[in-house]
Amino acid sequence: MTPKRGSPKRALDRASGFVRGERLYRLLLQAYPREFRRRYSDDMLAFYRDRIQTGGSPGLATVVRVWFQLVPDLIATALAERAAPLDRALDPAPRVAREYSFRREDTMSLIAQDLRYSVRSMLRRPGFTAVVLATIALGIGANAAIFTIVNAVLLRPLPFAHQERIVDVAHEDPYYSVSEPEFVDYLRGVKRFSKLAAYNPNTVTVSANGDEPIRTTATRVSRDFFDILGVAPEIGRTIAPDEFSYLSKARPIVISHRLWVQQFGGDPGVVGRTLTVGAAQGTIVGVMPARFVFPDARTTMWTAWRMNPDSLWTRNNHYLRMVGLLRPGETVDGVRAQMRTLDQRWMHDFPETYFPTQPLVAVVTPLRDFMLGTARPYLVALLGAVAFILLIACVNVANLLLVRGEGRRKEFAIRTALGASSSRIVRQMLTESMVIAIIGALLGVILASAGVRALIRLAPSDLPRLDQVGVDGRVVMFTTLITLLTGILFGLAPALRGRSAETVDTLRAGGKTSAIGASRVARRALVVAEVALAVIMLAGAGLLIRSLVKLQATSLGFDPARLLTMEVTLPQRKYSDTTADAFFRQLIDRARHLPGVQTAAAVSALPITGDDSFWSIMIDGHVVKTIAEAPGAKPQFATPGFFAAMGVKITRGREFTDQDRLGAPPVGVVSEGMAKKLWPGVNPIGHTFKMFNETSPWITIVGVAADVGSRGFQQDIPPTMYIPYAQAGTSSYGMQRTLTLLVRTAGNPAAMTQTVRTLIRNADPSAAISKVAAMDEVLGDSIASRRFTTVLLGGFAAIALALAGIGIYGVISYGVSQRTYEIGVRMAMGASAAAVLRLVMREGADLTLIGLALGLAGALIVDRLLQSLLVGVSPGDVVTLGLVSAVLAVVAGVACAVPARRATRVSPTEALRAG
Amino acid sequence: MDRKPPLESYLPVKPVELLVLAMLSAGDRHGYGIRQDILEHTHGSIELEAGNLYRTIRRLETEGMIDESGRRPAESSDDERRRYYRLTTFGRRILAAELERLRELVRLGEARRLIQPLPT
Repeated sequence: MTPKRGSPKRALDRASGFVRGERLYRLLLQAYPREFRRRYSDDMLAFYRDRIQTGGSPGLATVVRVWFQLVPDLIATALAERAAPLDRALDPAPRVAREYSFRREDTMSLIAQDLRYSVRSMLRRPGFTAVVLATIALGIGANAAIFTIVNAVLLRPLPFAHQERIVDVAHEDPYYSVSEPEFVDYLRGVKRFSKLAAYNPNTVTVSANGDEPIRTTATRVSRDFFDILGVAPEIGRTIAPDEFSYLSKARPIVISHRLWVQQFGGDPGVVGRTLTVGAAQGTIVGVMPARFVFPDARTTMWTAWRMNPDSLWTRNNHYLRMVGLLRPGETVDGVRAQMRTLDQRWMHDFPETYFPTQPLVAVVTPLRDFMLGTARPYLVALLGAVAFILLIACVNVANLLLVRGEGRRKEFAIRTALGASSSRIVRQMLTESMVIAIIGALLGVILASAGVRALIRLAPSDLPRLDQVGVDGRVVMFTTLITLLTGILFGLAPALRGRSAETVDTLRAGGKTSAIGASRVARRALVVAEVALAVIMLAGAGLLIRSLVKLQATSLGFDPARLLTMEVTLPQRKYSDTTADAFFRQLIDRARHLPGVQTAAAVSALPITGDDSFWSIMIDGHVVKTIAEAPGAKPQFATPGFFAAMGVKITRGREFTDQDRLGAPPVGVVSEGMAKKLWPGVNPIGHTFKMFNETSPWITIVGVAADVGSRGFQQDIPPTMYIPYAQAGTSSYGMQRTLTLLVRTAGNPAAMTQTVRTLIRNADPSAAISKVAAMDEVLGDSIASRRFTTVLLGGFAAIALALAGIGIYGVISYGVSQRTYEIGVRMAMGASAAAVLRLVMREGADLTLIGLALGLAGALIVDRLLQSLLVGVSPGDVVTLGLVSAVLAVVAGVACAVPARRATRVSPTEALRAG
Repeated sequence: MDRKPPLESYLPVKPVELLVLAMLSAGDRHGYGIRQDILEHTHGSIELEAGNLYRTIRRLETEGMIDESGRRPAESSDDERRRYYRLTTFGRRILAAELERLRELVRLGEARRLIQPLPT
């Protein structure tokens, strides 16, 4: 082994086996034909290594310098090599020496020269340059914006250690969750887990030292939970192993970063402070870092689940979820198989718990998929869409540059004849396109940052990790990469034309070559395609916008205007059924007497918010065999005056009054839908229903209420039964301590917030207030996701339209420049400006019409995909398509008008002379 | 043996090819070595890149003017094996013919006082 040269950098490179950029160079060698590669790629790699390594240590400057010379050479020679068979066929006298491709010039002055040339040529045509830059900015900007979001949500690694070995564990429907005995058995029996933990989030009321209580989510976790996720606390510690023992007296609480900042102001001395969680008191032992989110962003604290192995809940009570850490080397499939073996055994051992028709099947999901899974297809589709847009933008710009390049053919022919090498010309054109790409990218990045901010504001709040969106190294690298690719992509076409081999022919024919036929058709086809694409996207966006408008005009069944809502939760232990009812009645009465309040009431669940309880009932004395056959309805518990306060019409009978109190005859109100379904054709007043059990009393129907929209407007409205809150304990399964207070105000509901809050605090300071919102806001949130999609698609459609417009402009403009002679002749023969205008516009109209026709046909097909999102409009909606056509016509008209006007100002004498 | 067309049909030789053939006349070289030789010979004014060089090598190999002389370790690196090239007999003859042609041209230039005649 010969001793190496002493540079440690070199030794390091050698040790890794690769020199800087070698892998990339190896990849780029694919540009050469296969035969050539087979023979010479090893040599060329060795050549590359030598190039990098000689001349001292291979610093970044060296590498950049080498690559600067290497890339044009590679492009030029790879293409020449691929064209070689064609060249040989075309030119039977190959021995004419034409290539002076290797004159060495100082690299730095080369770069400077190329740059100066590029900037000069860009400034010469400012309008053209502006259009090109705008196109690039749009394409790159859109990509950067979407990628920033995709990066933060999908690509960034989760903050957990060994995240590739962490899995979420649950069961398939109908069990869905895990019961306590099952957890214990899995813990013992599934050896492929190195650790397994169970957790269970609950909504709780929390208060610190008599501060105003808040409602939040606390997750109870079992012993190995923190070890599995492997994230160290920011302050303090996590729960110690012995604190998980059933006998332990400690009540440790670990809080989230967000809670720490919001409730404790970031106080570093927070460890040791006490919190009242529900009925119990606990001590804060640690704070988790901001990036630690589990199972989702709603959880703000983690407490110990102190399981007593001798006193577990029953096997058929499934409510836990599990998270596990695989042993190194184990696979998800392996662990799943082991768990399913156990499942089979339990089904056999516990036949009264598991029915054969409802098998217990374990579901093991890698944590990444579990946390990000729902967002992924959506975001990937978005990324695909913007990549497509960038491609269109590049082709558009290439088109425009080609158009301009046609005008420079003579220039290139002269340069080549005078000895400029093909590499040189290629390099200069690439520099120019790089400059355009870089400037366009910078503009695009500015657009992107505004776009990202807007997207975040509009995005549905269930998109995970949205708070972590920001520019990091990966985003910068991505943007740089696509900028370079963009520059090469759209620079390549004109660069290749520039080094054209038809030198002699070009000069002889005075600059007009005959080989433009094929490319002309290609260009026009491209523009037609762009127009069609724009039409399709515009139609889709238009349909979504109309759906959105229709949704917002949908009758909800209640009046959402000026309605303040908030959830009030009473501490469980403090109130009996009687006193809870009294509390709310008094509160509502006081609220009604507030100045600025028209009326008030309370209900168990707000419509629209997605509460999907559905309880089985019996009606009119009919007995059904099994619960599966029983009718059901959504339960609502309401205080007297609720229907009036909510603005829900009572169509028959009456609503609840103060007389419908605890101890009075059980009464109920049913929705129209429920009446139609369960008592078709008859007046349900006087009929009865009850809960599906032995002890509940029969409830007499005293009124029928109009249907109230539920779950985001568009879902089927469920049959709903209303029971007076006061009677909830006797008529149904119990009186909950959480009601949503409704306050109908005279003016802006938000203005009354503080007053109502104070009212509640005065009534009972330990009552927790949460989800304060005006009903309009609640409605808005429920359509947030749809609104987001609509805005996004609208944005894309606008970009597509802009690109199509630019495309039309490019082609028409080129047409005018090519037909200058013809126009000159016509004008000399007496054609008016108007006639010339018509001539040019007609070409544009032809393209637009074909594109429109294709686009409309495509829209009918593609927009069918949107069917599930459309409300009140069909994919073939005439109004929308008509509007889209009109918009397109206007844009196309403007795009044609500019070159058309230029055509009318052609001076006939000059045109004829130049021809 | 003479299935090849007459020597004259191969002239003039392209400048790049001429340089490569000329440098190989000194002995076997690998690709990078040829580049370095040319660089030195032209006092730094002609610098060949990989694509250009290997295309030229390909052409010369196809024409039969050079061929591979086997692989052996390059002096400057460790036991990595490089491919070395050498002039064939045919290549040597082409090179000579071209240089003769150029010499005629030089003589013309000297006669017309375009360049200073070299002392004999």
